[in-house]
Amino acid sequence: MRCVSGSSRAKDFLTVTSTIALPQNRTIHRRILNNGITVLVIENPSADIIAARLFLKAGTRWESREKAGLSNLLSAVLTKGTERLSSLDIAERVESIGASLGTDAASDYFLLSLKTVSSDFADMLSLAAELMRSPTFPEAEVGLEQRLTLQAIRSQQEQPFTVAFDRLRQAMYGQHPYALSGLGTEETVSQLTRQDLQEYYETHFRPDNLVISIAGRITPDEAVALVEESFGDWSAGSKQRPILNFPAIAGQLNGTSPTEHRVTTPQETQQSIVMLGYLAPSLQAHGTMTDYAALKLLNTYLGNGLSSRLFVELREKRGLAYEVSAFYPTRLNTSHFVTYMGTAPVNTAIALDGLKTEIERLRTTPLTSEELQTAKNKLLGQYALGKQTNSQLAQIFGWYETLELGVEFDTRFQEEVAAVTAETAQSAALRCFETAYISLLGPAQLISE
Amino acid sequence: MNFIRTPQSTLSLPATPLKLANKLTLIHQHIPGCGVAAVDVWVKAGSIREIDQWSGMAHFLEHMIFKGTDRILPGQFDYAIEGRGGMTNAATSYDYAHYFMTLAAQDLVDTLPYLAELLLHAAIPDEEFVREREVVFEEIYQTYDSPDCLAFQALIEGVYQRHPYGRPILGTEELLKERSPAEMRSFHRAHYQPENMTVVLVGDLDQDEAIALVERSFRDFPSPGDCPQHEAEAEPPMTDIRRQELRLPRLEQARLMMAWMGPGIDPLVQEKRDDVLPWNRFSPEHHLDPIKDACGLDLLSATLAEGRTSRLVQELREERQLVQEVSSGFSLQQESSLFTITAWLDAENLERVEALICDRFSHLITARINESELERSKRLLCSDHAFSTETPSQIAGLYGYYHTLADLETAIAYPQWIQEFTTEDLQNLASQYLSPYRYAAVVVKPL
Repeated sequence: MRCVSGSSRAKDFLTVTSTIALPQNRTIHRRILNNGITVLVIENPSADIIAARLFLKAGTRWESREKAGLSNLLSAVLTKGTERLSSLDIAERVESIGASLGTDAASDYFLLSLKTVSSDFADMLSLAAELMRSPTFPEAEVGLEQRLTLQAIRSQQEQPFTVAFDRLRQAMYGQHPYALSGLGTEETVSQLTRQDLQEYYETHFRPDNLVISIAGRITPDEAVALVEESFGDWSAGSKQRPILNFPAIAGQLNGTSPTEHRVTTPQETQQSIVMLGYLAPSLQAHGTMTDYAALKLLNTYLGNGLSSRLFVELREKRGLAYEVSAFYPTRLNTSHFVTYMGTAPVNTAIALDGLKTEIERLRTTPLTSEELQTAKNKLLGQYALGKQTNSQLAQIFGWYETLELGVEFDTRFQEEVAAVTAETAQSAALRCFETAYISLLGPAQLISE
Repeated sequence: MNFIRTPQSTLSLPATPLKLANKLTLIHQHIPGCGVAAVDVWVKAGSIREIDQWSGMAHFLEHMIFKGTDRILPGQFDYAIEGRGGMTNAATSYDYAHYFMTLAAQDLVDTLPYLAELLLHAAIPDEEFVREREVVFEEIYQTYDSPDCLAFQALIEGVYQRHPYGRPILGTEELLKERSPAEMRSFHRAHYQPENMTVVLVGDLDQDEAIALVERSFRDFPSPGDCPQHEAEAEPPMTDIRRQELRLPRLEQARLMMAWMGPGIDPLVQEKRDDVLPWNRFSPEHHLDPIKDACGLDLLSATLAEGRTSRLVQELREERQLVQEVSSGFSLQQESSLFTITAWLDAENLERVEALICDRFSHLITARINESELERSKRLLCSDHAFSTETPSQIAGLYGYYHTLADLETAIAYPQWIQEFTTEDLQNLASQYLSPYRYAAVVVKPL
């Protein structure tokens, strides 16, 4: 063993000299077809696999409150019938060759993803085109998936974390679509009809609203030719895309003075869930980029990994939790910065104090240069590790394109993170961490006060 | 089954297994140009090594490994890896514990010695032991709020009445409170020995560098010392349906879990009962290769419940619409594997669904599955295998897992072996392992 005891060696060990440098110079080929489809191709011959992500600028953000859950229901029924194929035919086409094909309705986009060994890719892409272009939403399948969704909504109530987060999100977002989980509510989902799916489909499923991102063992020319073949004669029609008009979010950013909203959910659980969150900048609005990068960094600093501030202070030093973390997702509209932990019910109040103290510390105390540098290395290193598989590559670039940030955001993001200073981080913390939203779930007498 | 495993010489082995002088195993694969290196250290020190009163020790030890040595402070290792942009973590199961990290290849030389130092010389400081135990309790409380975790624990207690596979990996608050740091140190010294350990290193580092680095890092193992060893007790064979019912608060949906015992790589000690047991009626050649049986059971599991065209999903979810979801799983274990079916459903359909599943299991025994079903399941498993070998950390995990439980060859030859199965092989396996009259079942209903 070469390591020697004593602080000097230990210090060397801690001196961070490098960060992960994956092949950064991947060329991303971008082509816009005549009908408006944006095609991205990332050639990566390392494995005999091709992944594709087909993004539509749709998702739960485009739902009205009365139709909450519509995107999700559509994602479940999309693969269950086309003009030529039944639900079973479609599943057989995919499963008989061992491919994977799935759909997902996220907050800011609608996604169809597929992954195949390279030789099966053309077949699966043409199936994907058929699903996107001529789904029939059979009445019986709509009914089945609707019933299953209603059950899934009820089942979510079994999970303390999900319940606590639902309450937090509703307190934060009021009438805005981000207030609800993608599944919708029992009231809205039970009212959805096949006609609703058809209208949503006609509004959003059109070539000029589609980004197809392909990564794997395929050349850009081959990939574009395959897309042309299956999607090239899809025409957008003459309808205009709808303009979104959102309800205001209750406690918008930059409120006047620090305040606190608290929701409690009494349940006789073995563990309490403690959440402390804040509304946080979107990526869309101009002028929020600096705060966005700074808060991504602070989120990493607080909640990412075994050496993160919350993990060390609340778990390692005080044994208050097994799970303690933070998240700040990238969103087109106002996002949220949430810290949370699960703790023995008797520790509920101590845990909440612990989270508050750490957030307050970011407002009052600038990060040291070592803390700042470590958080940057961590964020950028994990960002690099998140771009290894073909699915990851297709996802991240397709997503940037769909959010209208462009594929160059990949580089811009890393530059912005590198440019964060202790001062910009602290001023972002001061702006963001004003109006606190708290959600507590646990035994009644321990969460009330 | 009338085939033999493909001999290693005909396989192109992308990885090299090496036995070092101190009996430590190193598996290395060079992936030039990827920039990254993944290390996954597998230790045969899972929860089956514990005596009953020490239940939870293997997992708790995995937490304590990161609390440092005489030369490394608690948390210092995590900070060093994550501060370099890498990631690290660990996990404990019945048969093993493993510790992994992924980081820039050029950082490996400076960091691997510290991972080795933690693994070989964990100090397990008294005050950290007491503090970290609270964290483990929190981990246990979290499972108490999860109906699926509670049901699965009841299920394996039904399957394994004496074997440590029936105990919870996390242990219990009651038992863990009785344990001492000295006991944990003795468990650690006894099991974290080179012959129990496999270091898998995959990434942008050539073989000479890898060998030198691992030899330099993993040496000076402490002497094993004394530690109470778990004594295998004869497991009563399953001779009928072992049924349990749980009633849980806040339950929105019932569960049905069913489990069958599959082959172990090292055979389980079974009570002798010569009368009616099907596995005793089988000729010995069927027991020659448990790994082959395991591959076949993976195929049966995929045939039953992987994907919308699988038998149970198609019938129970799509056609009869009796379940919210149904899944099956086969988990390979050292001494006895586990084949499970789980359904999430309305309580009123519990009995009917269980009866249907048993009936469909009878079909597997009386009639061969279709060729197209077999072909579909083969394609699914081979794709899954290909899709899970894209990154160095995935590859390292796969090699370590199979090498620890069976051998490295299995990790690599798996897709080829899968291809060799016939519908008749699967019929034989179903009749050998998946009896509709002998299984464990748990139903979970609302309070």
